Amino acid sequence: MPSDTVYILAVDATNKEAVEKLLKFKNRWIGKAISVAVSDFEMASEYAEIGKNEQEIYSSMLPGPFTLVSKGKHKVAKGIEAEDGSLGIRIPDNKMILEVVKKLGKPISATSANLAGRRPHYSVESFFKNLSKAKREMIDLVVDVGKLPRNKPSTVIDIRESEMKILRRGELIAKNAKSFISKSERETQKIAELIFKKLETPIILGLSGDLGTGKTVFSKEIGRLMGVKEKINSPTFNIYNDYGDFLHMDLYRINNQNEIDEIKFFEIISEKKIVCIEWIENLGKNNLERLKNEINLPHRQADFKLISFNYIDEFSREIKL
Amino acid sequence: MKILAIETSCDDTCAAVLDDTKIISNIISSQTDLYKEWGGVVPNIAKQAHLERIDLVINKALKSAKSTIEEIDVIAVTQGPGLAVALGVGIAKAKELAKKYSAKGGGKKLVAVNHIEGHIMSSFFDHEIKFPALCLTASGGHTKIILINKIGDYKIVGETLDDASGEALDKAAKMMGLGYPGGPIIERLAKNGNEKILELPKVLRDNKILDFSFSGIKTSFYYKIKDLPKTEIAKNIKDYAACFQNSVFEQLTRKFKLAIEKYQPKTLLASGGVMCNLELRKRLRYLAKEMNLPINMPYKKELNTDNAAMIGLVAYYKALRGEFVTDIDSLDREARLGL
Repeated sequence: MPSDTVYILAVDATNKEAVEKLLKFKNRWIGKAISVAVSDFEMASEYAEIGKNEQEIYSSMLPGPFTLVSKGKHKVAKGIEAEDGSLGIRIPDNKMILEVVKKLGKPISATSANLAGRRPHYSVESFFKNLSKAKREMIDLVVDVGKLPRNKPSTVIDIRESEMKILRRGELIAKNAKSFISKSERETQKIAELIFKKLETPIILGLSGDLGTGKTVFSKEIGRLMGVKEKINSPTFNIYNDYGDFLHMDLYRINNQNEIDEIKFFEIISEKKIVCIEWIENLGKNNLERLKNEINLPHRQADFKLISFNYIDEFSREIKL
Repeated sequence: MKILAIETSCDDTCAAVLDDTKIISNIISSQTDLYKEWGGVVPNIAKQAHLERIDLVINKALKSAKSTIEEIDVIAVTQGPGLAVALGVGIAKAKELAKKYSAKGGGKKLVAVNHIEGHIMSSFFDHEIKFPALCLTASGGHTKIILINKIGDYKIVGETLDDASGEALDKAAKMMGLGYPGGPIIERLAKNGNEKILELPKVLRDNKILDFSFSGIKTSFYYKIKDLPKTEIAKNIKDYAACFQNSVFEQLTRKFKLAIEKYQPKTLLASGGVMCNLELRKRLRYLAKEMNLPINMPYKKELNTDNAAMIGLVAYYKALRGEFVTDIDSLDREARLGL
């Protein structure tokens, strides 16, 4: 089946026979865990020992390109949990998989479609090319949607201790539930997408951080996901660019609080679904307070989120909610 | 046809009088001195200053043209793109004038002009243009390559994906603690600088892409000088300015050349505030020579930076085509007006 990362091999994770067949297919020994896909946090908590703290992590990182490792409740078939009893859980950002899991009412395996030690596949064709006839015949159903975009496999993170531990680096790195590390423009876009998918509109995103930390790249991706077809470029010169539901603003040149009134700041942001405001620090303390308060008024229930961008080194930035 | 043109899309309040395609007066109340302490164009000041100066500038334009408002046939105004509050001042004034004098039977028609088309046509003054022409326009607000099949028929074939080239130069100047506007200061410093001292990335190497990107160069430059002691920056400031400027101009000329090869124009045009830079003009002339094509650039600074004469010229051709504003009251600014 296709997923949000690579093609996966899906079996009912609670069915002993199915899991044994899966392990045989992958040439994988029992004890090396196989991650599962669940439909939501509730289902996850049925199969793993996760509580309130973990709920926050789930809501900020899943659905998304992460596998979260918790202590399992041994309710899945043997071979799914690791030897130490841990269970890797995903909520893929993929409608079809979520739908299947929901209908089944149980988790399915979400292991990449490859043999142990081999590379994952982005098309059914390339996967089948490398399979023997015997192996091919073990597969009961193929869902072929053609080539998947070359997303990396998920990042596997152990959340059993209070400090998160990365077990395998995949698509994105997370320092904790609220903080992501970007090593490229592409990754900043991916983080923007992850955050975007969890936003409830209307929302105002205040972006703070130094020059060259990725604020514009982030905003452009939010705009693209909002369906803006035109090229979105830096609004520094015009202060803001209006794209209908999406407003892209840059307060870089604002130095004086009166200017916020002059550009009719509170008016122009009020009727938008999503507003990205770069250099939010230039809004000033009073206006920021006003922003937080005014948007909580009943007739304008826009949420406000502050996202900070920090320089770590030449090739990495921290994006923090 | 006598045209009064008004332009207030950013930091300059401008008015000009044209007789057909001939500039009779071209007044620019450059406000950059007001902005020095801020390090950028500040909307509050921009609107205030436009409001304070607009009557003054219009009167001066009429007076230097030895003309009166009664003699004007067409009023032209910039509709966008630009800074919304600033655009509003010019539009309100143009509407006021058009209505006031039309009511008296003076028959003043109003023409709304696209600021970018103004920049394109600023290189048309006193030149015969053979079409198709290819125009590179670069300023603090935009950086584009435009294919012109004929007057009024434009296609953007390349544009910046992030910062404008002039904006990048301004920001780099700010990083080095230099004043505003940053472009001219960088030009002056760069003249005797060593452009090889810093290695900045060569971006968008793909020859199929005619778009520009300046934010990567800006970021790379910033983090190379960010933690240096002030004295160290001061010591090498000419070299840093030269490196940054070279990197911006290298990309402008490289992408322009690719566009020329692809679209095979008969004339090259270059305009916009960044075209005041003599080093860039030199490089573009050299490129034109290499391509064996004529190149037209506005012959003086006042036609490169924002000005009303270019707005008047666009209006002249629009008036010939009968493209007037039909409902004066409904004319509104368009901060993100496309070409």
